[in-house]
Amino acid sequence: MVASLVSLMSIVAFAGPASAAGESVGSCVAEKFEQSLEGYGDGDHISHEDLHEVAKDKKVQEKLEGCLDAPSPILPELTEIIWGGSAFLILLVIMVKKGFPAVKGAMDARSERIRADLDAAEQAKTDAQAVQSDYEAQLADAKTESARIIEEARVTADQLRADLSTQAESSIAEMREKAAADVEAQKAQAIADLRAEVAGIALGAAERVVQSNLDAEAQTRLIDAYIDEVTGSNG
Amino acid sequence: MADSPVVGYADALFSVAEAEGNISAVEDELFGFSQTLQTNEDLRSTLSDPEIPVSKRLQIIEDLLDGKASSTTTSLLTMVVSAGRAGDLPSIINAFVERSANSRNKAVATVRSAIDLTQEQRQRLTEAIKTSTGKDVEVKVVIDPSVLGGAITEIGDDIIDGSVRRRLNQLRESFR
Repeated sequence: MVASLVSLMSIVAFAGPASAAGESVGSCVAEKFEQSLEGYGDGDHISHEDLHEVAKDKKVQEKLEGCLDAPSPILPELTEIIWGGSAFLILLVIMVKKGFPAVKGAMDARSERIRADLDAAEQAKTDAQAVQSDYEAQLADAKTESARIIEEARVTADQLRADLSTQAESSIAEMREKAAADVEAQKAQAIADLRAEVAGIALGAAERVVQSNLDAEAQTRLIDAYIDEVTGSNG
Repeated sequence: MADSPVVGYADALFSVAEAEGNISAVEDELFGFSQTLQTNEDLRSTLSDPEIPVSKRLQIIEDLLDGKASSTTTSLLTMVVSAGRAGDLPSIINAFVERSANSRNKAVATVRSAIDLTQEQRQRLTEAIKTSTGKDVEVKVVIDPSVLGGAITEIGDDIIDGSVRRRLNQLRESFR
């Protein structure tokens, strides 16, 4: 931007001399013609005859024609070279001093910005890849976790089924044992009841037999036996 | 026995019998009456029923003992029933019998048997008990058909059971 401004100022500044060089054909003719008029007339006033004479003069014509000669297409005039060269040098110095560092700084800044953008893009890409790999890892973890949970649930269900089965078998066995024990107990009770009843009947019968057989003689013998028993139970 | 009114009445009976000089007869008669009372629930409740007039109760005693007991025995029983102690009569008579035996330095051996013992049997049993326990005892026989056969002797807290009833009970236990 600064370089562009300096270039524009240089063109404006050095346009004047360039234009003067372009208008010098007329002034050259006038100058040559005035020089050729010197020596004619009375100083300030020149007559038509003098003008015609000067104009017809071959030398003057040659001089005037010399003004019409085109400048060299290759080599400019010396002044133009000086002006141009000076302008170029000034411009060069300005450019070297101000323009180039500015342009270089801008370029560097731009490069830096681009590099920063590239770095940022690279970083973003790396981040994105990290996030992606993170997501993938999480996904894998989730898959593993879900598989583990399913497996755990299956194992638990199997265990529960086995437990229930064992419990049911145990309960059935227990009930069977209890039923068997009840039957056994009832049988034992029935036998005991029967035995008691039989014993009662037998003892009742025995008591009646004893009573009927215990006549006076037997009673006396029993008493005598009792007395002997008491005698024998010394102490 | 440790009941003081019971012991007091027993002592009173003993003093009267001793004063009358027929302790032995009174003792036997009272013991017999006591056994009758223990086996006859109606008689026991009638004699101790306060609703029945005392005169009527005394009349019952006199009717029961008329000609079977001495006048001393009848008088003593009348006194106890008049005093309203008919319910304690068995205890009073037991205490009296013990008191009487003690006065002769003897203990009382109550023998429960299905039949009465002969005098010879009583004598042998007395000697047998002395041999067995070292105590001089007076045998009092109580007729108890539930004994079936043999006898059960009680001397204080000691019991010598040789009854047929016990044998049958042992048999019953062995069946269980």
